[in-house]
Amino acid sequence: MVGVQTNRGYIGASKVGVAVAGHSSHVMRKAGIELPIESNVLQAFVSEGLKPLIPGVITFGAGHFYLSQSDKGGLVFGGDIDGYNSYASRGNLPVLEDVCEGGMALMPMLGRARLLRMWGGVMDMSMDGSPYIDRTGLPGLFFNGGWCYGGFKATPASGWCFAHLLATGQSHPTAAAYRLDRFQSGGMIDEKGQGAQPNLH
Amino acid sequence: MLIPHPLLGPRDASEFVYKGDAALMNRPDGFADDAPEAFVQYAYQRSNPRGAHRELWFHEQGDRSWLIVTRDTLTHEVLDCQLADPRRAGGSQ
Repeated sequence: MVGVQTNRGYIGASKVGVAVAGHSSHVMRKAGIELPIESNVLQAFVSEGLKPLIPGVITFGAGHFYLSQSDKGGLVFGGDIDGYNSYASRGNLPVLEDVCEGGMALMPMLGRARLLRMWGGVMDMSMDGSPYIDRTGLPGLFFNGGWCYGGFKATPASGWCFAHLLATGQSHPTAAAYRLDRFQSGGMIDEKGQGAQPNLH
Repeated sequence: MLIPHPLLGPRDASEFVYKGDAALMNRPDGFADDAPEAFVQYAYQRSNPRGAHRELWFHEQGDRSWLIVTRDTLTHEVLDCQLADPRRAGGSQ
């Protein structure tokens, strides 16, 4: 590892950490590395601004739905990924229907709220639903990704563990199992028991 | 998203179950010397392209056929759709 070529010029570095959620496969392919990841689209939705209604975050496991309220009053909610490979940053209407059904089952009053905007983000879905924080086959190149749609909330811990790996060359004990070769060794962490089907995790 | 089924015409994607990369049709030889490595590659590694992607869709709420759909993952445009036929199996490369 000697450095990174960027659109702002060359940066020399003996160690490089890749943490580019959504486009991990795309970036790592530039280094000739194929990953156990599929990129899927996850949609999110925001209602018009409302008076204070939701004091925390609500998750609804039976219907797969989450809901919180922003400081501006908008209800921020979402549910399942669309379930097919996509880098398009937008999804399709069947998932909107499915998410709103989950919301209505949890809180029927949501049916009175009007939708302000919706968008899609690209999720790096790993093959067992658990992330990777590991070295790669190239000395000096490190990788952090495959967080499915849980990476945002995990950022403080994942950053801490990734920094530990970059600084010391040793995995942090908390992240020692998040290896890229765990499928070869039989050490997969498939908490949902879905097997190697990324869109189900 | 509409899937242009070769027998039934355009069908809504919600009638289908998505399986993933059509390279899953290329099952390695389980008796080969390199079978453990080949099966890790087969089962877990994905080319995950940003662009044209050959992928398997199962028409579960239709005629229960398996299709190979070539779709642009940047635009969702369907470029090609054929019945999955082992005699014409191929990966996404």
